[in-house]
Amino acid sequence: MFVRRRRKRILFEFCCSALLCHSCGGEAMAMGMAVDTVGELAFPVWNPIRRRFPPDSPFFASGNVERELLAKQVALDLTEDEINHLQIIVETESRRISCPIAGCRERLKSLDHFEDHYNARHTASCSVCSRVYPTSRLLSIHISEAHDSFFQAKVARGYDMYECLVEGCGLKFKTYKARRRHLVDKHKFPTTFEFFKKTQLSKKRRDKLQRQHVSKLKHKEDKEEASSDAMEVEDKASGDGLVSALSTLTTADTTPSNVSFGRRHGRGLTFVPRSVHREKRTESSSAPGPTN
Amino acid sequence: MADDGTASNRRDPIKSSVGNVAGQRRRQQAVTVAKERRELLVRAKRLCRVGTNGDVEDACVENEMMIDEEQPILEAQASKAVEELKSAVQYQEKGAMQKRVIALRELRRLLSKSEFPPVEAALSAGAIPLLVQCLSFGSPDEQLLESAWCLTNIAAGKPEETKALLPALPLLIAHLGEKSSAPVAEQCAWAIGNVAGEGEDLRNVLLSQGALLPLARMIFPDKGSTVRTAAWALSNLIKGPEPKAAAQLVKVDGIMDAILRHLKKTDEVTAIEIAWIIVYLSALSDIATSMLLKGGILQLLLERLATSKSLQLLIPVLRSVGNFVAVDPKAILTILIREQNTEESIVGVLAKCLRSEHRVLKKEAAWVLSNIAAGSIEHKRMIHSTEVMSLLLRLLSTSPFDIRKEVAYVLGNLCVESAEGGDTKPRIIQEHLVSIVRGGCLPGFIELVRSPDIEAARLGLQFIELVLRGIPNGEGPKLVEGEDGIDAMERFQFHENEELRVMANSLVDKYFGENYGIDE
Repeated sequence: MFVRRRRKRILFEFCCSALLCHSCGGEAMAMGMAVDTVGELAFPVWNPIRRRFPPDSPFFASGNVERELLAKQVALDLTEDEINHLQIIVETESRRISCPIAGCRERLKSLDHFEDHYNARHTASCSVCSRVYPTSRLLSIHISEAHDSFFQAKVARGYDMYECLVEGCGLKFKTYKARRRHLVDKHKFPTTFEFFKKTQLSKKRRDKLQRQHVSKLKHKEDKEEASSDAMEVEDKASGDGLVSALSTLTTADTTPSNVSFGRRHGRGLTFVPRSVHREKRTESSSAPGPTN
Repeated sequence: MADDGTASNRRDPIKSSVGNVAGQRRRQQAVTVAKERRELLVRAKRLCRVGTNGDVEDACVENEMMIDEEQPILEAQASKAVEELKSAVQYQEKGAMQKRVIALRELRRLLSKSEFPPVEAALSAGAIPLLVQCLSFGSPDEQLLESAWCLTNIAAGKPEETKALLPALPLLIAHLGEKSSAPVAEQCAWAIGNVAGEGEDLRNVLLSQGALLPLARMIFPDKGSTVRTAAWALSNLIKGPEPKAAAQLVKVDGIMDAILRHLKKTDEVTAIEIAWIIVYLSALSDIATSMLLKGGILQLLLERLATSKSLQLLIPVLRSVGNFVAVDPKAILTILIREQNTEESIVGVLAKCLRSEHRVLKKEAAWVLSNIAAGSIEHKRMIHSTEVMSLLLRLLSTSPFDIRKEVAYVLGNLCVESAEGGDTKPRIIQEHLVSIVRGGCLPGFIELVRSPDIEAARLGLQFIELVLRGIPNGEGPKLVEGEDGIDAMERFQFHENEELRVMANSLVDKYFGENYGIDE
């Protein structure tokens, strides 16, 4: 029987602009109130407004530059090609994108570079269940907690096994829930945060991941998982399962991140795919990976 | 000294005379210079190579490329020229004027060659006080001209060099008067334009010294190069961002008529400068905006947009249109509706800009459209019913990022009624939303969600919310899922922006939550 979980939501101040309001981007949360609003979406919906920019706004910068570069033609007598080349140099050298993943300091030259960087550094995926994490540390925490029966064994014996997800914190907890509470209380994670949830991936995504892992997954289990509807994480603590789980720890899938963490205090990382519940499992057990 | 350019009037490209290494260095210098210029936004200083009296002989001097080794020579020559000028100024005997002109001309030539004239050397040698002296009232025209020319080029360089002109400003302004000969006035306007282009402090000095009025009067004549130079200088003077210069300009009697007149008839080169004046007026002065609108400026702007092929003209004209639309579309609603079916309908003209190959035009045209689309339901229908829709959809998938963002604004604004008060949730215009989604816009929006730019990601999420909420028969979620929308939203899990994380999360929770997919 379902128990529909009542969620606390943070109510947004009604942001009546489609323009990003930098000042209220982060503060909207603080200004709002926590409200039980099941079913109602507290979301800054699209509202058309006119956008006006002052003449020195960066919005107009590229147009102004045109004026200058073209004016320079007279002075330097550049050929058409050189002008184009110049524009590319000027634009690419000055425009860099910061990677928005918390903790990552990369600055990329273009959107294509950003995509490459993202795929290389922030898509560590678990070869057992195909969940994706942005850092190898999180991935390895996930693997321990979800696919490792040694881990479960120690939990059962009362050891503090559940690490805080924020790097540098160092605290560990006996239960999944206790750690979650710590994340919310001490590190200000959203109250709806879940590091681990049962997921149902869309067919398209399953197909895509299947293709990506085809060469690496030789395991019979994976084929079963890929074809089943729900990617439930039922890791058998059979010898096979354990071996495969352990072997995944050394797989090249875990792309080492180039980032040295701990540089940023505080913000840490939030939740993981929370797409879909297939069926509701009560969370009281809190052990994500059932062991047999 | 040798007058290098006398050999011929050849304008060979620099490449052929110097060779590749120098070519690379030149490019590098140009990049550095271009970067500096970009950092200062529009400095808009112009080096004067051909005098306002049309001194052709010096035209061929333009293309002399100075290689580094020659710079010290140039500097030495400059110092020497200033010394010559000094003695010429002190000389009181017969033929003094001749001496002065010759000395000035020499200095002017040195300052008109290469891209990097020996300004610093000239300044250190004490050029400014001498040049100021040469500007004194009653001096012969030629002397005034050469002196103003030197000052012009001194002011065209680095900030501190431009600032060095301060002592000369009152006299330069004085010679803008209607009694001055045209070439002299123009050359002074040019110098002042360079000073104004430097920065706001200097602009304020010029304003307080009364530069605006005489400069404005210089654009009253119907034609002439003086009009163009003065208009350019004026545009530099009022560009702001402080609005007080623009406000002063508005008060000049007859200025609006002159502007409208020029916009309508004048040649493109002058129209460019006039257009920039309009850009600043429309951005900084509401009074100017309403006066110009009443004077029918919109139609004139649209005509220029429709007919011109010059990018330099199209940019400020388009931007002016954008500024007018951004200020108050209600005021121009009647014009818009009335013009719908004419050649120069605003949407048609904007479509032309969207089809252009120039990035800036596409981006700013989309911006204008987004502001129109933010208007009344009639405005939205006006856009939605034209061929510009297919253009927009195509641009959403294919164009560079900054254009896509603006296009996103247009499409989203078309789908939502503008809310009245702050309380009511804006209503979705289902007809538009459905047709736009059917036109294939979802992948483009989801792509924006993936972008590292916060504003773009926010837009993408907001549009996805519209789709999830507004597509009939609950088909929204399936559509979003089909385009990997869930995947894109999941990316926010580790994004450092909290608002976006929560937005994405709330969408996924609400529409792809517990019960999603169960009924299938």
